[in-house]
Amino acid sequence: MNVQAEHHDGVLVAKVEGRVDSSNSQDFERQLHEAFGDDAGAVVMDLGQLAYISSAGLRVVLLVAKTLGQRNVGISLCSLSGPVQSVFEISGFNRIIQIHENRTAALAAAGK
Amino acid sequence: MSASLTLRVPNRIEAFAGVTEAVETLGREEDWAPDVAYAVVLALEELATNVVRHGGSEEGASEIEIKVVSTDTEARVEVRDGGKPFDPFRDAPEPDTEAVLEDRKIGGLGVHLVRVLMDEACYRREGGRNHVTMVKRRS
Repeated sequence: MNVQAEHHDGVLVAKVEGRVDSSNSQDFERQLHEAFGDDAGAVVMDLGQLAYISSAGLRVVLLVAKTLGQRNVGISLCSLSGPVQSVFEISGFNRIIQIHENRTAALAAAGK
Repeated sequence: MSASLTLRVPNRIEAFAGVTEAVETLGREEDWAPDVAYAVVLALEELATNVVRHGGSEEGASEIEIKVVSTDTEARVEVRDGGKPFDPFRDAPEPDTEAVLEDRKIGGLGVHLVRVLMDEACYRREGGRNHVTMVKRRS
């Protein structure tokens, strides 16, 4: 698992690659906090290269969304596909976090 | 045609990387669809994690027995442990997937995912051990 941070006009994009499970979810949380820092105006998590996530990783996504929400930083997800998308939907995360089809759509919405 | 896999692993979170690898290899050999492989790996991870957290033994002190059987029609998963009686499908709290972000509880999602992703999931206590059987159909 790897988190890569990119900046696009004040929007921070965190690209998550690989697998997030109970054995590396703490590392996932640490890498996300490092990527987001304290000054991001809006955050997009690009999950296009995320091959697997279990409840341990969903817990981290929820924690991060809550923390950013308290700081009034918008967060959205993009590029989910296949079973990963199902897992987010079954968890009801599509009701509490904006999910966009691709990065372009997520950046357009975040920039507004 | 059928193939199976039996593993005994210590009740430690770190032990499951090997389980995931072995199950994915079986899935590739048996030509499972991606959603079948995902559901089986996730079900094993969530159940085994529950045993480690709620089984009542110190981490690494007991064993979890895992059996996966693949046939033309289904993938069947069995998880057995000698921990205290725990029926994940009855005793684990049901998460509120309708709650808004601020009210959403952290956790409780694992068993919910297993219930939805697997076609069958049942629990029995037998011979002083917990037995969980789960089935994912391949069609």
